[in-house]
Amino acid sequence: MNNRVSRCAMFVTPTKPRFIDKAWTRGGDVYILDIEDSIAPAEKERCRTLIRESIEKASKGGASIYVRINKPFVDADLPYAVWPGVDRIMLPKTESAAEMQHAHEIISRLELERGIPPGTIELSPMIESALGAVNIHELLTATPRKIWSQGGATGYDMAVNLGIEMFASFDQYAFPAAYVALAAMSLDIEATGGVFVPNTSGRVDQGDQAARQAAALHAAGIHHSGALHPAFIQPLISGLTPTEEEIAWAKTVVEAFDALADAGESVGQIDGKVIDKYERDTAKRTLDWAAACAAKDAYKARALSRAEAG
Amino acid sequence: MKTQTLRSPSENASIAGEKPMPKYIRRSLFPLSIDDPELGGKAQASWADAIVLDFAKKPGCDWQEDLKARMPAAIHAAAKGGAEVFIRINRNAAAAELDAAVFSGISGVVLKGVTAPADIVATAGRLDALEAGRGIEPGSLEIDVEVDTAGAVWHSLEIARASRRFGFFLVNEPALCRSLGMQSAPALEFDPLEYIKSQLIAVATSVGGQAAGMSYPLGLRPEDAGGDAVKAAVRRARDTGFKGALCPGASWIAACNEGFRPTAEEADYYVKVIEVFAEGLKRGMASVPIDGKMIDVPVDVRAKLYLKWANRAQARDDEKARAHE
Repeated sequence: MNNRVSRCAMFVTPTKPRFIDKAWTRGGDVYILDIEDSIAPAEKERCRTLIRESIEKASKGGASIYVRINKPFVDADLPYAVWPGVDRIMLPKTESAAEMQHAHEIISRLELERGIPPGTIELSPMIESALGAVNIHELLTATPRKIWSQGGATGYDMAVNLGIEMFASFDQYAFPAAYVALAAMSLDIEATGGVFVPNTSGRVDQGDQAARQAAALHAAGIHHSGALHPAFIQPLISGLTPTEEEIAWAKTVVEAFDALADAGESVGQIDGKVIDKYERDTAKRTLDWAAACAAKDAYKARALSRAEAG
Repeated sequence: MKTQTLRSPSENASIAGEKPMPKYIRRSLFPLSIDDPELGGKAQASWADAIVLDFAKKPGCDWQEDLKARMPAAIHAAAKGGAEVFIRINRNAAAAELDAAVFSGISGVVLKGVTAPADIVATAGRLDALEAGRGIEPGSLEIDVEVDTAGAVWHSLEIARASRRFGFFLVNEPALCRSLGMQSAPALEFDPLEYIKSQLIAVATSVGGQAAGMSYPLGLRPEDAGGDAVKAAVRRARDTGFKGALCPGASWIAACNEGFRPTAEEADYYVKVIEVFAEGLKRGMASVPIDGKMIDVPVDVRAKLYLKWANRAQARDDEKARAHE
């Protein structure tokens, strides 16, 4: 439900019960069940068998569920990853349209076999190499599957591909991250990155870092982010949700512009600020996003209430 | 010169699907003229990984015949210190210049003034013929691109994909600024070419090549600078993804050779990561801590790749040292 809203998508490890069993209490919008890098090679087989029960556990609080599979084991992983309740399959280190198409075909077959409406499950390429970044447009158009949001071309694997040390004090991914974000936007897919936020410590457990990240993304009109630690969840969710003041201003702008339009005008002013079609469209997007966040939060609250009662 | 010891366990550390990273150890590219009477001495004394040979067309004579007569000896002289040798060619006279300058002993040509992938295709065709006619291994000569035009940036992906001979982009910031109509004096607080540099690095990497360039402001003001300033600039350039730089003077070369590779401390750390993670895997763990940081599969992969990079750089230094004996 409401898969569009992923202010905080947090990785969890199905093989660690203390993570999975508590996930629903932490309030994340999305939990990513990982079969990839957080799972030791010897544990992957067992991890696959835990995905189905982990879906139910992790989504009890109303979170959407993604599953990150392994690039070398797409055929083996997908039968364990495609179940009712899964919203997205994340395909790591994607570089070619053929990889997307191959995964799409398997997911389509499994949807049919398992009573999932065709095309329900998103398929998101994870951009973790320069080749994936420059091929992003063809990856995103390789299958008919809807993708709500897309980012990438930063992070550990990208750093290794570029031969850099992470956590410098400047933007090391200026082109690839922006290029991926722009490609997504050109296809009406919401961007999840492309904004540089310094983190020279490399720590993933500091709430103030999450708050800075959320503020930078929010200022750039980006609503989605990810986390590796629960300390990031609430700062990201609150920071990527429009404030009451922003919502009030957006309503004012929309009403003012609509009044202008009714009067046959196209440009006006409120408190010295120009109001035109572009300001109106921006305000409308704020209101749309605020409504989506409110719906998601209400859904999570109801689910949490049921889970606590049960 | 400073040497380091090759570190194990890199020899046995293989990674599925691994490609060499970086493809080439070309940390310092040093331009010299074939007309320089001290060419051989300067090349040898420089310790550069690569020498980029420039030439002038002599007026009043058949410049092609003149160049053909002098180029083999110049290539030999430039390689005396163990450096790879490249010839810098102008795109707008490429066919004639290639005929006059391409001989055995070079690794490739650096093409400047490129504006479109067709320039690469034409050069590749000419190199096919020259290799066949001059006893050079077919397909062995690289085409490297000095990025000095807006067209080269705009078409960078098609250019890099235009030929299997593509090796690296070499960013010529002052010329590129002129092509873009930008002020080339580094008066800004930010790097006006940051996005372009990142683009060229990513594009080159995507085809298995690499990019050479320097960080702001030294890239825009290629002049001799103090050792610490060059070291800091090289570190930033490496952290951007550059694998080497064109050195305007010999004073940059040591800093480039030292900086465009993992440091000795980093190599020591990679060895530790590989060993500790291997022990963890034996115990069925997906991640193990070292000094408070979690080591997992990607960190282990990086350690193996970067350790190989460090060892390849060291092997290159050893190779040059042997050439100096």
